[in-house]
Amino acid sequence: MVLQNHVILQDNQPARMHFTDHHIEARTITDPNTLQPAIRRTLVFNVDRLNGIPTQAVLSTMAENLASQFAPYLEDKSYVNYEVIVTQRGVGYTRKWTVQFIPFSK
Amino acid sequence: MARKTQQVETRLVAEYVKVNYSQFPAITNQPLGVVSAELMAEIGYSKAISMSRPNRPEVDAIVLLPRYFLIIEGKVWHIVDGMAKLPFYASLIPVTPELKEYQPREVIMELVVPWTNPNLEIMCREHNIQLRVYKPDWISDVVNRVTEYSTREYRLAREEKLRNRELLGLE
Repeated sequence: MVLQNHVILQDNQPARMHFTDHHIEARTITDPNTLQPAIRRTLVFNVDRLNGIPTQAVLSTMAENLASQFAPYLEDKSYVNYEVIVTQRGVGYTRKWTVQFIPFSK
Repeated sequence: MARKTQQVETRLVAEYVKVNYSQFPAITNQPLGVVSAELMAEIGYSKAISMSRPNRPEVDAIVLLPRYFLIIEGKVWHIVDGMAKLPFYASLIPVTPELKEYQPREVIMELVVPWTNPNLEIMCREHNIQLRVYKPDWISDVVNRVTEYSTREYRLAREEKLRNRELLGLE
């Protein structure tokens, strides 16, 4: 069991995960430009396996680009049928994600 | 500030891949092309990949079919741009280090669009690109919004909506 509550994506390091559930929550953040508090919708996945090791953690993102890649899998929660490899690249507004969906066999 | 953009083509491609190829491994936003071997030896694989980023175009999606790399570009606007990129992207597949483990596979190409026209079909046929029309219900709303965007009424209504979102703390 990996003792890690949040999956932190590292630049150019693929993270292989299996998701069991998700929810969308509102979080209050400090806007880095205005330094004012702002409410942002966040997509949160429950992760039960990280890089092949059982875990109980969450992966969260406020980035619409990344969330859009998961969007078709949310309504029917069909992401449970895949292992997902997410690779993050870049910083700030130029950050992007490569997402690989691998059909999952139990 | 309230949100002003929407990832339309990302959503279109992700949905298209799920609907049509859910049984196969698929990769979205994959950078393509070589990463200098000297650079990798000097600063390591991860940093070399990172430094090469500006020189590596990204294909919207790759589906790993048993015998083929199926590369997919999705376009809602500037459709010809999407079509034109595909043959060039195909030439980079054999030298992309991230795809090395899936070689050897031949490359086939698909252009995913919500609508088509006869000239587009001719150009795609000529360049061995499969043209796929995929038009989910939500795409019409997006297109209508963009069409209306240039009208004064729409801009005023949208500005008011964004103001209200901020006042109510919805964004």
